[in-house]
Amino acid sequence: MLGQRSEVGEWGWSVWKLARVGPRRCGPHGRIDLEQLINPVILFTMCALGAIGVCMALPRRGLTAQFIGATIAGLAGGVVLLALTLKNFEHHPNIFFYIFAAVALGSALRVITHPRPVYAALYFILTIVASAGLYLILAAEFMAFALIIVYAGAILITYLFVIMLASQASAEGDDSGELDYDTVAREPIAASFVSFLLLAALTAMMFKGVTNLGDVREDVQATGAGAMRLHPLGKSVESRDAGVLNEMPRRLRDELKKAGIEIAQTDEVAINAGAKTVTIKPLSGTARTIPLPEGVSPYNVENVGFNLLGEHPGSIEIAGVILLMAMLGAVVLSRKQVELDEEAKKAHADMLSSDQAGGVV
Amino acid sequence: MTTLLAQAAAAPMHEATLAHYLFVAVAMFVMGVVGFLTRRNLIIMFLCTELMFQAAGIALIAFGRFWFDYTGQSFVIFVVTVAAAEAAMALALVVLLFRKRESLSADEWQSLKG
Repeated sequence: MLGQRSEVGEWGWSVWKLARVGPRRCGPHGRIDLEQLINPVILFTMCALGAIGVCMALPRRGLTAQFIGATIAGLAGGVVLLALTLKNFEHHPNIFFYIFAAVALGSALRVITHPRPVYAALYFILTIVASAGLYLILAAEFMAFALIIVYAGAILITYLFVIMLASQASAEGDDSGELDYDTVAREPIAASFVSFLLLAALTAMMFKGVTNLGDVREDVQATGAGAMRLHPLGKSVESRDAGVLNEMPRRLRDELKKAGIEIAQTDEVAINAGAKTVTIKPLSGTARTIPLPEGVSPYNVENVGFNLLGEHPGSIEIAGVILLMAMLGAVVLSRKQVELDEEAKKAHADMLSSDQAGGVV
Repeated sequence: MTTLLAQAAAAPMHEATLAHYLFVAVAMFVMGVVGFLTRRNLIIMFLCTELMFQAAGIALIAFGRFWFDYTGQSFVIFVVTVAAAEAAMALALVVLLFRKRESLSADEWQSLKG
C-alpha cells in the first residue's frame, strides 16, 4: 500500500518536473519564434478585424450588415494565411489547402450566422466535406472517408431529423419561417471579443510552442537532414513500416511477386529494416536475401489499423462502452412520457381549436 | 500512383506548413465558441460543439502528419465516436426539452440557472 502511494507520488512529481522543465530543456536551435512564421502585428490586427467581422455577421434584429461582416472576417482570415505563406514561401502548402480551408472556414461562419437551423446543418456538412479534403492532403485517407461517412452520412442526418421533428411555427404575420431566438444573437460583441482573444492567444502560443513540446525535437535536430522521418518514440519510420509489413506476410509476398520476384505461397518472408532487404525462406532449402523493391510500404489504413489495435486497445473498449451508454441513454430518454406545462397545454389547446375553427370556415 | 501517394505521405513537413493547418483548426474552433455563446437555438448550440470537435480533429491529424505518428489519426476515430455518442444523447435531450416547452430556445430554460 505504502509502495503504491509513493509510486503515485513519484509519478506526479515527474509530471510536475516535466511540465516545469520541459520547455526550458530545449536548446535555442530547437526553438521557433512567432516572428519566424508570421508578423505578430499582422496576426493580432487580423484577429481584431476578424472579431469585428464575425460580430457584424451574427444575426441581429433590424438593419444588419451580415454580408459586410462576413467579407471582413473572410479577408482577415485570408490575410493571416497569406502572411503565413509569404513568410516561408518555400514551405507553402498544396494549392488545394487554400481552397479547402476557404470552404471550411466560410461555411463554418455560415453555420453560426445562418438564421435557419436546416441551412446551418447543411452548411456544416459542407464544412465536414472540406475538412475531409484537408485530411486527404495530410495523407489521412482512411479518416477522410470515415469522416464523410460517419459525420455527413450519419450524425448530420440525425441532426436534420431532429431539426425537422422539433420545428416550430413562426410568429404571426411572419412568413420567412425564421424564429425570434434564431434571428437575434445573444451578446454578440462580448462573445466575439472573448473568442477572438482566445484565437490570438492560441495562435501565438501554438506557433511559438510547436517545437517546444519536449526532447524529440532535439533528437531530430541532432541527427541532421532527413532525420525528420523519426518516430517520436525514437523508432525510425522505416523500421516501423517494416514491422507493419512483417505482420502481413501475404501482402508482402504479393508486393514481391508484383516486382517480378519468384516466390511461392509457402515461403516465409521478413524485412530487415536497417539494411532494406528481404529474407525469403522456403519450406525446404536455403534462405536468400534480396534488396527490397522500391515503394513497398504499408497503406494508410494498415498503419492506422495497427496503431489503433496495437497501441490503444484499452481506448477501443472504452469507446465501445461510451457508445453502449449513449444508446441506452437515448432509448431511456426518448421512451419517457413528457408532461406538458400548464402554459404549453393551454397554447396547444388554443392551436388545436383555431385549427378546427379554420377547418369549419 | 501508389508510389506517388507514398512519397507524398513520406515527405517531411515544415513548421510553417503545420502552422497553416493549425491556424485553420484554431479559427474553426473559435467560430464554434462564438456560435455556442451567441446562438440561442439548442440544436445550433450542439452543432457548434460539433464544429469544435471538427477543429480538434484537424489539429490532431496535422500534428500526426508532422511527427509521422498515426496516433493522431487513431484519436480522430475516438473523437468521431464521442461526437456520435454525444449527438445521440444531446438530440434525445433536445427532443425531450422541446416536447416539454414547445420551443427550442435556450432562454426557456433559464430557471435552471438556480
